[in-house]
Amino acid sequence: MSFFGFDATLPRDRGHNTSAPGFAQPADPFARPHDGDDDDALDFEDTYDGLGDQLDETDDVFNDDTFGATETAASSKPAVGKDFDFFGQTAKVSNAINEEAARFTRQQPVRTAPVPSYTQPRPARTGYERYKEPEYVPELQADANLWGTAPKRPAGLPDSPATPSAPASGRKMMSLEEVEAAMRAQKKQAQPAFQGQQPVTTQPQVNPQYASAPSVQQYQNYPQQPFPGAPTAAPREDLRQAPNGPASQPVYILQRPQAPPSQPNIPTGPAQPNQILQNQNRHTSEQHRHGPSHHGHRQHGSRQHAPIITHPQQLANLSEEDRAAFLLEDAKRAKRNHKIFLLSKDNGLMTPQDKNFITRIQLQQLVTATGNPNEHGTDSALSEDFYYQVHNQIRGGPRQHPGQPLSNFAQTYLFQTGGRHGGMRRQARGGDNHMQRMEQQVQRAVEAAKNKPKNKQLVIEGSLGKISFSNAKTPKPLLNIKRVESGSDVHRPGSAARAASDRKAQKASLNGGDRRTVLSAIESVYSTLMKMEDHDRKMPPPLTDDIDPELTGRHMDWRAENQRLNDQLWQQLKVHEPIGATHTHPFIAFLSYSKGKKAIPRVFRHIDHQQRTTILTMIVVHLDQLDVVRNAQLLSGETHLNAGIRENVELFSLAVMPSLFAYLSEAGLDIVTGVLGLILGINVDVVARTRIGVSMLTMILSRAELIKQAGGVNQQEWEQWVSTYNGLFDALEGTLPTIFPGTVNTGEDVYVWQFLAAIGIGASPEQQQRLVMAVKDRVMETVGLAKTLPPAMSSQRLANVNLFMRSIGLDVELLA
Amino acid sequence: MADIDDGTSAPASEPLDLVRLCLDEVVFVKLRGDRELKGRLHAYDSHCNLVLGDVEETVYVVDEDDEDEEAVKTISKKSEMLFVRGDSVVLISPQSPS
Repeated sequence: MSFFGFDATLPRDRGHNTSAPGFAQPADPFARPHDGDDDDALDFEDTYDGLGDQLDETDDVFNDDTFGATETAASSKPAVGKDFDFFGQTAKVSNAINEEAARFTRQQPVRTAPVPSYTQPRPARTGYERYKEPEYVPELQADANLWGTAPKRPAGLPDSPATPSAPASGRKMMSLEEVEAAMRAQKKQAQPAFQGQQPVTTQPQVNPQYASAPSVQQYQNYPQQPFPGAPTAAPREDLRQAPNGPASQPVYILQRPQAPPSQPNIPTGPAQPNQILQNQNRHTSEQHRHGPSHHGHRQHGSRQHAPIITHPQQLANLSEEDRAAFLLEDAKRAKRNHKIFLLSKDNGLMTPQDKNFITRIQLQQLVTATGNPNEHGTDSALSEDFYYQVHNQIRGGPRQHPGQPLSNFAQTYLFQTGGRHGGMRRQARGGDNHMQRMEQQVQRAVEAAKNKPKNKQLVIEGSLGKISFSNAKTPKPLLNIKRVESGSDVHRPGSAARAASDRKAQKASLNGGDRRTVLSAIESVYSTLMKMEDHDRKMPPPLTDDIDPELTGRHMDWRAENQRLNDQLWQQLKVHEPIGATHTHPFIAFLSYSKGKKAIPRVFRHIDHQQRTTILTMIVVHLDQLDVVRNAQLLSGETHLNAGIRENVELFSLAVMPSLFAYLSEAGLDIVTGVLGLILGINVDVVARTRIGVSMLTMILSRAELIKQAGGVNQQEWEQWVSTYNGLFDALEGTLPTIFPGTVNTGEDVYVWQFLAAIGIGASPEQQQRLVMAVKDRVMETVGLAKTLPPAMSSQRLANVNLFMRSIGLDVELLA
Repeated sequence: MADIDDGTSAPASEPLDLVRLCLDEVVFVKLRGDRELKGRLHAYDSHCNLVLGDVEETVYVVDEDDEDEEAVKTISKKSEMLFVRGDSVVLISPQSPS
């Protein structure tokens, strides 16, 4: 122990009063703002109220009687009280004090009002300049005398040398708890023993700011903590102690810190919150319980502002220059610390730790959202409401018990932003801690995401919808009905599905005329039509001479898609349904709806020649089944079709016929012959008595006539046509008198005259005669009627008749 | 051939598909406020907003005359084209061609 120039003799050997107030208190940054920037403004002499001089020390001899710390009591240890847990109590108090102090400074950050006089010296503690004053040392010595008769050394002291040595050897590693445990183990020695050991046992309190740290670990994280004998910190601390008689003072100095920690809490005026006041009271009472020595310290607290000094010898060993240099350096450091503190008051509003906290909160939410509810217990609950918690703690939130330690969260926050005691070391540690926690949370979040089933929905068997889970990112949809892809079951593999669909198909085809089925077919055709029309717009620009592979590729794609849609349309038109399998062919049923008729022109634009031929064939084959033919038969006595059918007929002739006519006008004679042959196979009589049927026949006949006139007709084909025509003529002859709609008065027979003209043009002379014979009556009636009509209508009627008459080389004029 | 039939005779996947089948057909529409419409359905949307052509609208009005006798009176209007807001539609029914 004499390595540092200590007086190695134990205090008891020196006869020094071990209970004398002593150990220097480290600078207390949060107290500093009170004195402003100017450290020199305060002088010890100015602020010392001289209370110490007024003490009546004459009765000190009775102290032992009063406080029971007699020699006999000391020898019989139980008298002092075995249960006195000095360290635990002090540490508790010290923690509470520092917490409250930090809280208080945060609550009243700009307090600049003068504080009670007894606190004023405190800031001046950093003003080591007073050590240069010669009278300083005598005062301290007087202090020592003050307690000269105070508690005697206990009889148990012989044991004590062993106990201090153990903590001393491993003191840097010792945690608070360990120290406490060591203290409890030494209970036998009780307070007197403790006094003897103070150089060791009070170590944790050398810097009360550190002692206030929330967790015990922090002690271990301060390797540079200025323990006595720690070379790094020693020089500065020694400065203050140097003026004292080095050899005689160490114990006194080391004892000091017990009381000073209580001082920071006392200063406040009436504005002090209740909790702090309570805390203060409590603390005071605790101190009273602690015994005379503490009490005494309080009394002297105001006077003994000697700062952190642990190793007077070290400074004593220095030369004058070095000492001056140290003083200078320390002065700089103190000023700098002070300024930093002033600046940092609001500086640390958002420390990296705060940001970490916020990040953690977000992560916490993430974890919670992904179904990992609070696994952190209180900590996570706290961090979930970060701002509230921080505000609550800083503004002095409710605290059931002043001695109750602040939560980890509050402590961390308070001491990182409020006080700068810890400096970078604490921050670094805190940062690591948060980083660690962040990493843990990220890991947890990832795990939770992994464990969570990908399916965010729960489908309950037989329910209409799904129950979906919500999280922060995807709020819960109220109802999620799965849209069944239409026709998906058709393509489903499996014999059962296949059989079912087969049955369905059969059923559907059995009642192909089923209204709903047909309507569905029409709608699907329209859907495909719209797709195709849309697809047409996407047609790539036409190919140019120079080969562009990309353009060619696009063309190929476009054609492929077009073909696909075409096939789809063709299937949906059901043109290829077997003829006769159903009562009404699906395509004919399709055409019986007005929207089906309207679809034909659009369909024709998207199908090829072959398909148009097929459609024409289908229509002609089923001509007698078309609604516009079947329902358009005028029964005897009827003169007018009903409005609905007339409308349909009109629509058919406007929508379907032009498409067919356009097709036929490009068709060759073979097709025309074939179509006419098909008509011969059906009930020509029915067909010929309807407007649509007659129009169809007219169309076919006139096309043949046009082809013949254009010339270049294959002889064999022409002969085939003539034979077919003859067949038609023969079939028609009986019907010809009845093909006129209504009576002659209705005047709706123009299409019949056109038809007769078409027949007459292609008829042989013998056929023409038969033709005239067949329709002679109607011609005469019309001519006769025309004479009774106004000239305009009359001439129109006669013109209609003339269409026919001229075709056979006659004229109505001849009849007149 | 059976496949072709399958594709188009698939059941309607949503209720409005049935309405779609009535496009360009004469439908009977019942509205709130004791009103009925009969006309050709030209267009509809997911809100059951409808566009009808050649509409015959029938309004049923309860008349209270002096003797406190309630007599239901019908008012009939015809419109060439009508837009019906969907929130008043109670039902849409296909009107079989008659």
